[in-house]
Amino acid sequence: MLRQTLYGSLILAALGLQAGDTVKIALTGPFSGGSAPMGTSARDGSKLAIGEINAAGGIQVGAKKMKIEIIERDDEAKNERGALIAQELAAMSDLTGVIGTVNTGVCMAGDKHLQEKGITKIICPAAGSASMTQWANKPDKPGVKDNSIFRFAAHDGIQAAMVVEEAINRKFTKVAVVFDSTNYGVSGRDDMLDQIKKQGNKLEVVAQEKFNIGDKDMTAQLLRAKSAGAQAILIWGIGPELAAVSNGMAKINLKVPLIGGWTLSMSNYIDNAGKNGNGTLMPQTFIEEPITPKAKAFIDGYHKAFKVGRIPSPVAAAQGYDAVYIMAAAVKQAGSTDTKKVKEALEDLKEPVPGVIATWNRPYTKWDPADVTTHEAFRREQTVMGMVKDGRVVFGNDADRERLRKSALSATPAKAKAKKK
Amino acid sequence: MNASIIGQMAVSGALMGLVYALIAYGFQLTYATSKSINFGQGELVMVSAFFSLTLTNLGFSYWFMVPGGLLFGALLGLVVERAGVRLALEQKSEGWILLTIIIGLFFFSAAENIWGRDDRPFPTPISADPIHFLGVDVTRLELAVAVGVLGIMGLIELFKRRTLLGKAFEAVSADRDAAELMGISATRTVMLSYGLSGAVAALAGILVSPITTVGPTMASAIILKAFSVAVVAGLDSGFGVVLIGMFLGALESLSSYYLGSGWREAPGLILLILALAVRPTGVFGKAIIRKV
Amino acid sequence: MKRILLLRGAELLVFAFLATIPLLVVNPYALGLLTLLAIYGILLIGLDVTVGYLGQVNLAHVAFLGLGAYAAGLAVTKFGLGMGPALLAAMAVGLVLGGLLALPALRLEGPQFALATLSFAALCTTALNELEALTGGAQGLSLSRPPILGHVLTPPLFYWLCMALLALVWMLMRNLLASQWGRAFEALRDSPIATDAMGVGTYQHKVAAFALGSALGGLAGGLYAFNFQYLQPQSFTYDLMIILLLGVVLGGRKSLWGAFVGASVIVLLPNLLSNRLLFQVFSGLGFAGALAAGLRGLVKKTTRPFQALAPGIAMGLLVVGGFFVENTEDWRKAIFAIMLFSVVVGLPEGLMGFLSTFLAKLFRVPHAPLPEPSDIETILPPRAADGSPLLVLEDLKRHFGGVKAVDGLSMIIKSGTIHGLIGPNGSGKSTVVNVISGLYTPTSGRILLRGVPLSSGSLYRVSKSGVARTFQNLQLFGELTTLENVMVALRGVYRSPLPLVLLGLARLEERKAQADALCLLERIGLRDQALIKAKDLTYGAQRFLEVARALARKPDLLILDEPAAGLAHPDVVQLIEIIKRVHKRGISILLIEHHMDVVSELCDIVTVLDGGKVIAEGSPDEVKRHPKVVEAYLGQPTQAENPQPETPRGAEPLPA
Repeated sequence: MLRQTLYGSLILAALGLQAGDTVKIALTGPFSGGSAPMGTSARDGSKLAIGEINAAGGIQVGAKKMKIEIIERDDEAKNERGALIAQELAAMSDLTGVIGTVNTGVCMAGDKHLQEKGITKIICPAAGSASMTQWANKPDKPGVKDNSIFRFAAHDGIQAAMVVEEAINRKFTKVAVVFDSTNYGVSGRDDMLDQIKKQGNKLEVVAQEKFNIGDKDMTAQLLRAKSAGAQAILIWGIGPELAAVSNGMAKINLKVPLIGGWTLSMSNYIDNAGKNGNGTLMPQTFIEEPITPKAKAFIDGYHKAFKVGRIPSPVAAAQGYDAVYIMAAAVKQAGSTDTKKVKEALEDLKEPVPGVIATWNRPYTKWDPADVTTHEAFRREQTVMGMVKDGRVVFGNDADRERLRKSALSATPAKAKAKKK
Repeated sequence: MNASIIGQMAVSGALMGLVYALIAYGFQLTYATSKSINFGQGELVMVSAFFSLTLTNLGFSYWFMVPGGLLFGALLGLVVERAGVRLALEQKSEGWILLTIIIGLFFFSAAENIWGRDDRPFPTPISADPIHFLGVDVTRLELAVAVGVLGIMGLIELFKRRTLLGKAFEAVSADRDAAELMGISATRTVMLSYGLSGAVAALAGILVSPITTVGPTMASAIILKAFSVAVVAGLDSGFGVVLIGMFLGALESLSSYYLGSGWREAPGLILLILALAVRPTGVFGKAIIRKV
Repeated sequence: MKRILLLRGAELLVFAFLATIPLLVVNPYALGLLTLLAIYGILLIGLDVTVGYLGQVNLAHVAFLGLGAYAAGLAVTKFGLGMGPALLAAMAVGLVLGGLLALPALRLEGPQFALATLSFAALCTTALNELEALTGGAQGLSLSRPPILGHVLTPPLFYWLCMALLALVWMLMRNLLASQWGRAFEALRDSPIATDAMGVGTYQHKVAAFALGSALGGLAGGLYAFNFQYLQPQSFTYDLMIILLLGVVLGGRKSLWGAFVGASVIVLLPNLLSNRLLFQVFSGLGFAGALAAGLRGLVKKTTRPFQALAPGIAMGLLVVGGFFVENTEDWRKAIFAIMLFSVVVGLPEGLMGFLSTFLAKLFRVPHAPLPEPSDIETILPPRAADGSPLLVLEDLKRHFGGVKAVDGLSMIIKSGTIHGLIGPNGSGKSTVVNVISGLYTPTSGRILLRGVPLSSGSLYRVSKSGVARTFQNLQLFGELTTLENVMVALRGVYRSPLPLVLLGLARLEERKAQADALCLLERIGLRDQALIKAKDLTYGAQRFLEVARALARKPDLLILDEPAAGLAHPDVVQLIEIIKRVHKRGISILLIEHHMDVVSELCDIVTVLDGGKVIAEGSPDEVKRHPKVVEAYLGQPTQAENPQPETPRGAEPLPA
């Protein structure tokens, strides 16, 4: 017991000692375990941005320049760890903001502690719809009035809409919906089914198949899809299992396109599916092609800083990078490291923030419990269809590449906020 | 239902089941000599696979990499025996259960940090293209797994029956005390069994990696099933594991087809609990007469 | 009483301190950690029942945590129950499902048991994940804390609730484990066969222990649900199970304090590792400690070299590694593994086990004084020995495959006699004992005790009907003291119902049991060794203890299975004396023995077996001269006038 209180007081002391003239930003996410490629890519993307900002002297906060100090926490994709970390962060009096989280469950278990204390968090890079809708109005319960949780990821709703749209555009009528048994997969399934309904029921779902994390043999699911006559497979899951699906399709000679969430661009999908992955389509917010100078600088910077030849999850890395710049812009505008003031600034960013994905023009607005998109940065415009080709993700159609290049080069960024879904 | 689909499911499940059987065989080897098994065997499979991948990446040919991997696996097996099992056996306690779990945890974390957390493909000269055989699609890779599994099990059985060292192995398995009285070192035989078991685990890793990819968590699902196969067949059942392994693999595959993939493992698990309740020593195990 | 007071005082102090924390510290994070500590404390106390007391590696505990959590969650969200009923529901689910799983699983041991529980845990995760309509599946289940008596539970209030429950569980479990129940749990770990043979139903106690542990798991689950207010099936998987298991071992098995320390380590470890300085301080201290203890062990030669050196080497690795590794957070699992390895190898009793031995040495707290022994007249009142048939075997057969170990045996044991059963090795003596005592079911034939058929194939039921036995291969409860070995077997003392035991109101009965057991120990000359663990007794003393333990059953018929095997001569003399004293109380004895002098001195009548059949019966002198007996022992016909052959294997020379 003595020992245990000793720990406790030492920890508290250690936390208390960290005062200073810095902007404290916590980076969280799964840095070990199955979702680690996403978590570490996002973290490293963020670190790259923070490194750049600090190298330039820091953020202009009021009269002085302050460097960013990183607090790093691994949630192991476990809800309990996430909840504890959130409690820990919520107890820090001088924390400016939190960036991170991959797993929806971790958001569900942890974010309420941050929200209660009004600590600003930008969810990045992923997390299913529920991570934001938990704050919004529900049939039986009104949402929160004020919300300090923001999201910086192409939310599953947008992605599902694009996936369904793509299948319809390709004139398919029968599809199989395949998803993993986690929160992410199941909510992806719900989003896709919802979108199929919304887009006029033009697709008939001939099979709904589930797989578990760690499954390597997808023969059963795919055989059922095949025998039901699916013309395309709409899929929601993460890397290794997705690769097992592609390889399984090759094995039973099921030659239909695989269309699914952005995770199909993860290196562990692309590598493990090999040639069987060619032609796979997925929405992307960032494609590791140096089409703009900024993108080139980012990609080269990442490769150099973390000694890799290819980013494990380019989307996560780019989002982690841009999220830091948006947070920094909010700190600068607020002129304070106080998390509540930063939140208010985030809801009303006056200046556009140039990022590697896009130039962000008023990404967020004042929270409205009836409309979660007020705290969602991504719109349909920032998202393009990517395609796997010989081990890399390229633009699924060339028009997107041109559009992005132009919008990046033109001085006036696209009016992202003008069109709301 | 469609007979060819049933056939397809059963065959691909059964072939996967052979991998379970191979790892289960590794459990049997150590159980025979020491009545202990390595609860961290899955990590041995995984670390050996990573090591073999590294050998390949360093430019060694497949046929050099395989023995290299096996040797490394055997070495790890010896480490487990020395650090986790021997003391407990000397003290006649069941401490080995926890110690082997702990050593497995260490290997897991080390692999995560040395080789990364990502799943990686495992190159192999054997083609993954399907061949059509009696109305069923089978890849050469899967056939290679079958050949490898049965091959090494056959070799080890031959070794046990034909060589002096192997006979010592059999003697210790049959009656440890009597064998010691005959001048056979039980400790060394236990070491031998852990070494062999490690090599078997490494082979399982090398065989299964091209199908499952290599990653820190690659073996966590397989190992539970291998454990089930070993226990359901009986920890002293010899080739019984092959039958049970293939049966469990096929059952899993069929139940995932008919019950929905979420329930894939349920029938196997229920069957397992029931099988154990009815025959605690396993389907092919020898019944034990309690003596006092 | 000093010892008890010290212990209670320490408990009181700790809980009082924990209760005041919310008043002193306002940091919600620290409070969150401590709340979790209370929840894990309850969880680990439950796990310790199976892992520590039953000695089985139970991998299903995490499933009961999950089931309890979901039961509480659903009770609140679907049925609108309050927090109290929801927690009760969580416990009930643990209790019932735990009992159900225990029924088949507890016939298994070791790896088989581990696997069966593991399978159950996997099944539960699957079910929670797949029953989407009920549990919300992978999407998870969100809930909120229902108010208690109109009060919404703020974090400090919820913390107090968890701590209060931990204290309650602590108290109840302490009482239970100090009673006959706790002794029975430990006994059946050391020897299930002897536990049954002493009339303590192994199976019932195993199932009860497992169900109890699972119920605590369920309760912890309910609190878990109200703590996190969000549940997902994949929270309750093998990973967490391993951590829990290691927590119990690290803290120390069979110890409430151990469970508490284990829970603290589980909860605080991640925080310890995220601060580099703290990590280095602790790994350095650990290294120094392990090294010092190891060297001391080496010099004093109390530990094996491996045991002495390995923890130091492992902790050294940790210290050195600490300098090279960039991010200790990344290596968390490896660090945890190394620390555990050191503890498991170096301190097999866990941190608390080590600490309590250390503290006991430091303070030299004497054991509470034992009561005066009861009067033998009240424990074993003399019974009438009228020579009527007590046990009758009729054409008894027991075959193992083709081996006819017992083949048509008929014999009568008369009340009040000492009946010898002899025969060369392999003649079927042990099988006869095992069949009578219920270990084996007879292939055919009847066994009658006072004219009533004796239940066959159940050690437990046979023991209940008044037949007690000892074991040729000692089956003592090694981890229990000499006194406790006898107390476990005592018949007709433990009458208090479970609720009284839980509340600690069965103390009188406990004193009585101690007094009775001491009386029996006195008869065999072990009264002054009452507090020594049975495994630490001398071989002879262990043999005598077997007899005393069987006497505690207050049997009508006492079966002594080769009680003199391996005894030195003075011990044999003492044994004969003991048996004579027992016989004087009117207890009939069936004596299986090789030592012919023992048989000659004690037995009224001797039955000789060979090849599973009776070859002779009569007084010791008669059978000694019986030609068939001589032939059986020597393997060749000998003249009856010259019965002085060489010593047969395993038997004393036949006296002339």
